[in-house]
Amino acid sequence: MGLLVLFMVGFCFILAFVGGASGKPLPIPHEYGRVIIRNFSEQEGLGAVRFDHWLHRAFYTCRLCHVDIGFAMEANATKIKADTNMKGFHCGSCHNGTRVHGSKKVFAACSLGATLGEDTRCSRCHSVGKKVRKEYEYASFTEKLPRKGVGSLVDWEDAEARGFIQPVDFLSGVSIERPPLTVQKDFSIASRGWMSAIIFSHKKHALWNGCEVCHPDIFPSVKKGTLKYSMFQICDGQYCGVCHDHVAFPLNDCQRCHTNPVRR
Amino acid sequence: MPYKTRSAIGKIFLLCWFLTAILVAPKESFYCGSAYSQEDWRKEFDEICSKTENAMEFSVEELRSLVNRCDALKSRVEKLDEPQRKITLRRLQMCRDLYAFAFEMKEKK
Amino acid sequence: MLKKTFLVGVLVLGIAGVSLAQTGVKKKRPLPFEYGRVILNSYSEEARLSPVVFDHWLHRAKFTCRVCHVDLTFAMKTGTTTIKASDNMKGYYCGTCHNGKMIFQGVKIFESCSKKFLPEDVKRCDRCHSLGKNVKREYDFAKFSERFPKERFGNGIDWEKSEAAGFINPVDFLEGVSIPRKPLSTQKDFALSPKLESMPEIIFSHKKHTVWNGCELCHPEIFMGVKKGATKYSMVEIFEGRYCGVCHSTVAFPLLDCQRCHTKPVQQ
Repeated sequence: MGLLVLFMVGFCFILAFVGGASGKPLPIPHEYGRVIIRNFSEQEGLGAVRFDHWLHRAFYTCRLCHVDIGFAMEANATKIKADTNMKGFHCGSCHNGTRVHGSKKVFAACSLGATLGEDTRCSRCHSVGKKVRKEYEYASFTEKLPRKGVGSLVDWEDAEARGFIQPVDFLSGVSIERPPLTVQKDFSIASRGWMSAIIFSHKKHALWNGCEVCHPDIFPSVKKGTLKYSMFQICDGQYCGVCHDHVAFPLNDCQRCHTNPVRR
Repeated sequence: MPYKTRSAIGKIFLLCWFLTAILVAPKESFYCGSAYSQEDWRKEFDEICSKTENAMEFSVEELRSLVNRCDALKSRVEKLDEPQRKITLRRLQMCRDLYAFAFEMKEKK
Repeated sequence: MLKKTFLVGVLVLGIAGVSLAQTGVKKKRPLPFEYGRVILNSYSEEARLSPVVFDHWLHRAKFTCRVCHVDLTFAMKTGTTTIKASDNMKGYYCGTCHNGKMIFQGVKIFESCSKKFLPEDVKRCDRCHSLGKNVKREYDFAKFSERFPKERFGNGIDWEKSEAAGFINPVDFLEGVSIPRKPLSTQKDFALSPKLESMPEIIFSHKKHTVWNGCELCHPEIFMGVKKGATKYSMVEIFEGRYCGVCHSTVAFPLLDCQRCHTKPVQQ
């Protein structure tokens, strides 16, 4: 009887572990942060959309897209339609053929009656399964940007500190300004097992994300320590894993968070 | 006038009176167990529940009386047809609960 | 033996529960014209009609919350009013106004439900029973709210400023339905202190809330504490859709906009 109980408990843990933590490959820099969006494209006869975060990450804060514009942080969860893009929502907030970025007009995302082919405007986004030449290439764009950690991904924090990028946090006609909330202090999160404690950079996170990216959707509890979550859940794409599983620096890089030295 | 003639006229009058009463009187007054007409419950309902927005201005005794009136009206509303019964009961419940709430607030002060 | 089985059961459920948890993710945020959308399906599918799609924004612009949720007794939780076509036909719920006879602001309001209908009447049914259908609405959100003062999240409209500026004039009384009342005595606004010290204090706009809701909408069902400060509730309960969350999670401005309530600057 005792053996049966042990087996069942063990089996459950294995299921959770296999489902989440193990087997994560090393990230490939130009593919890291890629999101394939295929809610409606294929049924409309278009290829699925391939969205690579790195370019938008260099130009805008996370907050602008995920709070002001309102994109979900899970692939295919936003359910973007050509209709709503044309009305100026989601991608259409900028990709409307009139908004200017730098010195260029941002191309319109969707329109009725576009002709389909390799070099058309639609294929710039609907590029899955097609050979499309992108306007910005990862290698040339990120050549001078500092790298860090596992996979030598771009260190965005350092890139901003050194002035290589200046992410925009306000979009006229979309963003509404707010007086800033009190700057949050960094705090330590104790780890349950043998891993060292985490110094959570609340200050830095709030600078890029504001408050609404994380609260209350991702971290609903406001009293420190009341919300309990495990690495299984993080690896499964919840809590810290919402960003740090696919877009922000990956979870393979343990010591980027577990910074305190291990007690010997 | 002879007695027989007077008696006959009297009976005819009585018959006419009854017929008039039947034709003119509202149907509801014939139903057994329904002591009030449609108009009466509505009047009472309007009178009680028109004061909810000023509940905090009433005294404890006035609020107690309003709650009791709501409870008394409930049995009359129960006899209405659906869905008027369901909707009026709900409206009356909200009205009664608010007075009870204000009563509790005043009593605990 | 029973204790061991119980423990295993709890463990299995715990893990299952953790994996199915709704927190820890960032879901799609409804677009301005979708925010406040309620799908009503108590009996529609049984009657072989599409479920009803009710967008709050249009009625919100024309009536106070009190008229529908107190006078007409619509519940504030989807699926709990259980509206029937027969109720509508008898002049209750939607049928109070949607009866083909009422004239509101110069427009005859279409009849909501009817027992007998011709094939051309099906279009009328589709005006409400529109889930999954591409029904062209009579009022377009973008055009309707074009000039309204804007705000963050939710419908993207500052309803309060819109009313103050005269863009909307919500009706608070329906002839033959609403009970004629004396005007409401003005309620005072008051401060609510958050548990977390670094969050600004809330100045609760009791006055504004009573103008749109009356008293019965909130008391005692949503806020039952009779003594101020007696009812303790936390943001967790509000996020779950209780207390302030009854309205402010899906219909009134969403809880995502912390600073709409947490307005008082923190004493540094």
